[in-house]
Amino acid sequence: MQYSDVLMVIGANPAENHPIGFRWITKALKNGATLISVDPRFTRTSQLANIYGQLRSGTDIAFIGGMINYILENHLYHEEYVANYTNASYILSDAYSFEDGIFSGYDEIERKYDTSKWSFETDAEGNVLVDKTLQHPRCVFQLMKQHYSRYNLETVTSITGTDRDTYLEICKVFGSTGQVGKAGTILYAMGGTQHTVGTQNIRIFAIIQLLLGNIGIVGGGVNALRGESNVQGSTDFGLLYHSLPGYIDVPKAVPEENNLAGFLARVTPKTGYKVNNPKFIISMLKAYYGDYATKENDFGYHMLPKISNGKNYSFMYLFEEMRKGGLEGIFLWGSNPVVSSPNSQSAHDALANLKWMVAVDLWETETSAFWQSEAGKNYADIDTEVFLLPACSSYEKYGTVTNSGRWMQYRWEALPPKGESRADLQITHELALKLKELYQDENTPAARQINAMSWDYGTDHHPDFDKVAKEINGYDIQTKRQLSGFGELADDGSTACGCWIYCGFYPEEGNLSQRRDNVDNGQSLYSNWSWVWPMNRRVLYNRASCDLNGKPYNEEKALIWWDETKQEWTGYDVPDFIKTTKPTDPAGSKPFIMQSSLLGDIFATRSDGPLPEHYEPYESPVQNALSSVQFNPVVDIFEGKHNPRGDYDKYPIIGTTYRMSEHWQSGTMTRNQPWLSELASHMFVEMSEELAQEKGIGDKDEIIVTSARGEIKAYALVTKRFKPYTVLGKKVHHIGMIWHFGYKGIVTGETANKVTPIIGDANSNIPEYKAFLCDVRRA
Amino acid sequence: MGRNIKFIDISKCDGCRACSVACKNWNDLPIEIEPYNGTIQSHQNVTANTWNVVINREVVQPDGSLAWHFRHTACLHCEEPSCALACSENVITKREDGAVVIDEEGCVGCGYCVTNCPFDIVQLKKVKINGKTYEKASKCNLCEGRIAEGLEPACSRICHTDAIQYGDYDELMAEAEERLEVVKKRYPDANIYSPAGVGGTTTIYLLTEKPSLLGLPENPEVPSSIALWKHVVQPVGKMLGVGAAVAVAGLFVTKKIVQSQTHHTDSEHKEGEDHAG
Repeated sequence: MQYSDVLMVIGANPAENHPIGFRWITKALKNGATLISVDPRFTRTSQLANIYGQLRSGTDIAFIGGMINYILENHLYHEEYVANYTNASYILSDAYSFEDGIFSGYDEIERKYDTSKWSFETDAEGNVLVDKTLQHPRCVFQLMKQHYSRYNLETVTSITGTDRDTYLEICKVFGSTGQVGKAGTILYAMGGTQHTVGTQNIRIFAIIQLLLGNIGIVGGGVNALRGESNVQGSTDFGLLYHSLPGYIDVPKAVPEENNLAGFLARVTPKTGYKVNNPKFIISMLKAYYGDYATKENDFGYHMLPKISNGKNYSFMYLFEEMRKGGLEGIFLWGSNPVVSSPNSQSAHDALANLKWMVAVDLWETETSAFWQSEAGKNYADIDTEVFLLPACSSYEKYGTVTNSGRWMQYRWEALPPKGESRADLQITHELALKLKELYQDENTPAARQINAMSWDYGTDHHPDFDKVAKEINGYDIQTKRQLSGFGELADDGSTACGCWIYCGFYPEEGNLSQRRDNVDNGQSLYSNWSWVWPMNRRVLYNRASCDLNGKPYNEEKALIWWDETKQEWTGYDVPDFIKTTKPTDPAGSKPFIMQSSLLGDIFATRSDGPLPEHYEPYESPVQNALSSVQFNPVVDIFEGKHNPRGDYDKYPIIGTTYRMSEHWQSGTMTRNQPWLSELASHMFVEMSEELAQEKGIGDKDEIIVTSARGEIKAYALVTKRFKPYTVLGKKVHHIGMIWHFGYKGIVTGETANKVTPIIGDANSNIPEYKAFLCDVRRA
Repeated sequence: MGRNIKFIDISKCDGCRACSVACKNWNDLPIEIEPYNGTIQSHQNVTANTWNVVINREVVQPDGSLAWHFRHTACLHCEEPSCALACSENVITKREDGAVVIDEEGCVGCGYCVTNCPFDIVQLKKVKINGKTYEKASKCNLCEGRIAEGLEPACSRICHTDAIQYGDYDELMAEAEERLEVVKKRYPDANIYSPAGVGGTTTIYLLTEKPSLLGLPENPEVPSSIALWKHVVQPVGKMLGVGAAVAVAGLFVTKKIVQSQTHHTDSEHKEGEDHAG
């Protein structure tokens, strides 16, 4: 980030919520960079920014769409990059169309798209037709241009409520990074994702960055500022229900995937790096099932859990299932849904339908205590058996954490765990050993899965971390030699590897995540500090930092380059392909190797469309000005008395929940910490002076926030940092509330999520915490 | 060794308040939860147990834009400290390294330092010694133990934006002058604050607004009565053995101790609550 010329923070507040990462922004500012903060309210980040632009919550696509329109109209994009490194030149089939907010292939009853309508024209051999001049009327570039031409200055600012001059200035300043050699970066967090259009919000960030040639370069990128220190690591390792470790789809319980070959056929594309998926999957099965996994039994594929076709197992759906009595038990590892889930009272009530709950946490949380009278429950009515396992803190255990730059950093234990508390790894280990012991003489389907599982991490209470780490990296089964990278993985069962993207972090020479060499080898890459997946590559798709002949677009910010005399790629970073691949070779000329096209997707298939389109939030104060489609046409709606949708007539104010520097998540980690508790000890709701005056609310007054779901009492924080917007000619108010509070801890307060709705993004299913309707009055 | 200062460039502060936590951590200070004050500011002002507070102010700029200022406030460590001049027991000293420190053991809780501090920094706290409760003056000591060992204070050590820095006077003042020119472009009233009325300070601010807008006195001075007390009355009194002024001070102190003992049950209870967290 320190090398960026312009940094645009949209949907994030790093000065408060990522203060250590903010050091790099501070460095960029010192180097003369411009910082833009786009946010519904003036934040601590806005204070340090050069430009602050206000936008109404839930209108990011309109905001960026208008910027794209400005960039295209004023020819600010990086033409060579767009024509050669993205799919802008691809020609779309006639089946693709877009009209009044709906793409072709929409099924109104199923609320789903037939995404096959969005395919490209091909020749007889199946090669996509392209026009690198970008002039063909059916090429992605022209259709995108047409799509965003509707996002003109007038329309956009009337939707977003942004001041016209400020908006133009942002377009101009950020658009300037399209100049060859300039770098612009976008930083986002949950302000970008927690919307019914969350995935498309991030998609449109990617599109504008591709247009400006800002991906794969030093000081560029679309930077996800994570909500937790190890979110990157946990998704890398398959924490999400639909992915296996290393971002491979989970098998489905459908006839075509009854055997390994059928599953591999679905998840192995014909081109791009993912053609190697069978090697990664079979090596993973060898790691999971050890000697049990043989070629004859499909390497134990049938032991892998399969998901029911079309069934969603993400957070909101699990709680809906629980509410209906469909779940017997739950393991909660550092999770506090009574505070964190949308419409949290309904989640709280649903917990009583469980037979058992195991909560693994540092403290008793609002969730593990959900049955107590303090929680408003009569414990005599609740039959759930609750086990609270004391976990130790991050300082009391060892292991690795992966940051959003994909750096896998080992951390040593600073002090031994207190009392009987234990590390998550140890708790998992003991649980696995016990399950294996209990099932060893059984032959039920469940027992067969447990018995087939290889668990070779020692028989002591403490698992051998090294054994776990070495298996994640992968080894040759015959020789037990640690592999040096995923290029060595095989699909014949001769290698085992727990997570292919991490292959190479623990080669024969040792655990590279423990490296602490702070010598800068160029462009502040610090390549010998810890280890980065894949293959210690610090900047993904770094081929895009060079022109067609392999010459850096910016010599001062060079990452890699083609050395004509040596006939190989050289530089500070690791290239994405074999280093002798010529820059003009097909494999050496296209940077985005994880895509089957090897190109950056300006046009990309998502469940809700191939190009991001503005829809209003599920609950919004206005009609959609860009089409007659009010909200994302493919989101699932959770109907029922427990989750009503609020109307503008009754709930005219926009609400948003967010965090503050002093507290973390549901507050378990911070409201149990005295010094942090005193820094922010009261549940407050921020509002503008104008709204406070309209409602007769004074500074420090207690207020009631209501929504269709419920109400909460809190203190009013009346501030100049919130301002009403003028949206489509009408005045709209917005209030913001921290969501850190609950009834446990040193400081307590009402839980903001009592007023948020159960509705989420169409692709990722993250709840729409950032834009909903409510009202406020004096208590 | 050149003179060291603590330089606070408030235009760089993002109000994260890590300095407040680092201070409590290093100095092992208890928590004090205050009633809601209508802002995100943690405490109205510094107290005897909360040595630094980040003051925040929303100020509309002449061009209509908004600024949200954060000012780390703690003892400024005056070159001519009024608290030391006012101290009846001579237990407040200005050290060579710049820190103004209170020898708590010798403090009799007379409170003269509290009433005479031009910045409203020094406060009294209740301390229990052998079952009896006494009042003692208390404030930021510039992490005297740390700086004596060549370390920097806890607040500047933790500061991630380098809004608080500790180091050589010449270097930091050069930076201050340089930054002033930059900051003035956005905040025309920006100024360097180290008031001459108190002989200058070891904590030097780069302020974005006039001092009074950020909760600081515009022209603080050493109260003249205190200078008189320290330089004339007290020495004369001491020369005479038991001088009148000292006798009066002694009486005042005695009264304070009696008062604090009668109230100590209440204060004990409150402290107990604080620690229960």
